[in-house]
Amino acid sequence: MPYYIGGLVDDADSLIARSPEAFREQGIDVRTRHEVEEIDAERRTVLVRDLGTRERSTEPYDNLVIATGAEPAVPDLPGIQAGGIFKMSWMHDMLALDQYLVEHQCRRAVIVGGGYIGIEMAEALLLRELETTLIHSRRAVMPSLDEDLGLLINGTLTDEGVNLITSQRAVGFEARDGRVTAVRTEEASYPADIVILCLGTRPRSDLASAAGVPVGPSGGIIVNDRMMTAKDGICAAGDCTEMRHLVTGEQVSVALGTIANKQGRICGINLAGGDASFPGILGTAITRFCDLEIARTGLNERQLIRRNIDYVAGKIESSTRSGYFPGSSSITVKVTAERETGKLLGGQIVGGPGAGKRIDTLATALFSGLTLTDLEYLDLSYAPPFSPVWDPVQIAARIGARQVGSPKTAI
Amino acid sequence: MPDRQRLVVIGGDAAGMSAASQVRRRRPDWQITVFERGDFTSYSA
Repeated sequence: MPYYIGGLVDDADSLIARSPEAFREQGIDVRTRHEVEEIDAERRTVLVRDLGTRERSTEPYDNLVIATGAEPAVPDLPGIQAGGIFKMSWMHDMLALDQYLVEHQCRRAVIVGGGYIGIEMAEALLLRELETTLIHSRRAVMPSLDEDLGLLINGTLTDEGVNLITSQRAVGFEARDGRVTAVRTEEASYPADIVILCLGTRPRSDLASAAGVPVGPSGGIIVNDRMMTAKDGICAAGDCTEMRHLVTGEQVSVALGTIANKQGRICGINLAGGDASFPGILGTAITRFCDLEIARTGLNERQLIRRNIDYVAGKIESSTRSGYFPGSSSITVKVTAERETGKLLGGQIVGGPGAGKRIDTLATALFSGLTLTDLEYLDLSYAPPFSPVWDPVQIAARIGARQVGSPKTAI
Repeated sequence: MPDRQRLVVIGGDAAGMSAASQVRRRRPDWQITVFERGDFTSYSA
């Protein structure tokens, strides 16, 4: 959706993988503008409200799939109800934001939150030639990466013209005639014709929970690897569920389309009598800001320290192609691994075009339980237009591998 | 549970529509209904 706002995708319809009509042609009765208000797990019915006619009806089921998604966090701050404060969750949020930009001839945008959506929106609003301010609560944006890599992203945001405000938190909004005019932090006030809240999401699991379907500590619906909940006849898939992190073994909630697609597919296969299981997640994610690609998988140093895991890290700045080859740009790779065994625990990448998708090498290695030494000598592809003769992920692995087995020194 | 006939899906984005599509492919005779609060299905957030 940010790429639509930025004008890189100019047709909203192209964002829709398949329309309700296309599904209906396949014999799937899609009823849009219908909200399920209640699940009766004992009688196996749902109470549905037609948002058009406002009429309610009770619909029976034999099997139920809960795929209610995640909702964006909206902080309860003074002035939050003002017009012109948007979140990016649904298609209609995006269309409304786009319309507001045009209708009110917005010049100044303030984004609150420097995670994935925040920096994607920053790129989009720059492309729309808005004066763009990004307010982020920590020192470095992209809190799913370590601060040293996040600071690289800070630099690019600033270079591209974003007014980056770090270590500040939004505490309220100023408005005139019901429309937002500024975002206040504890230290200052930032003028805004439009505000976009990008503060993460939480699983939308209230409907399930009210029906007695167990919800875990992450707020997501508890499912097994076949996507079945604890209630007979009810399964759940996607952003509304809780899933196992394969590195920590912890139950987490992650809102990503790639996971939702896989879980939905697995859920459907099992319902139809087939056999499929969801393995769990590694926390792999990728985005970009302008030409800077940003990707991560597994555990970063901050996460390892918090869990008291003894680790080594290897970090390198290298190039995306052979240094002499046209179009080569800088790439920074950091890998983390168990100190004792050298087993890979995570990876982070920030760099120019071609950098980001290298995270998939690290994600695959992580899933497979490879060590830094395995990774260092892994037979990866090479030719000058694609990478240096040692791929940057292998150089980072080598640097990390030197410390494996060595006693821990004070950091 | 392959003997059951009526599937209801709550939510018409990636997870819900993927599940519905898989069931449709494998169980042509099942009745499948998807309830979606918004106007769209399977959009790219």
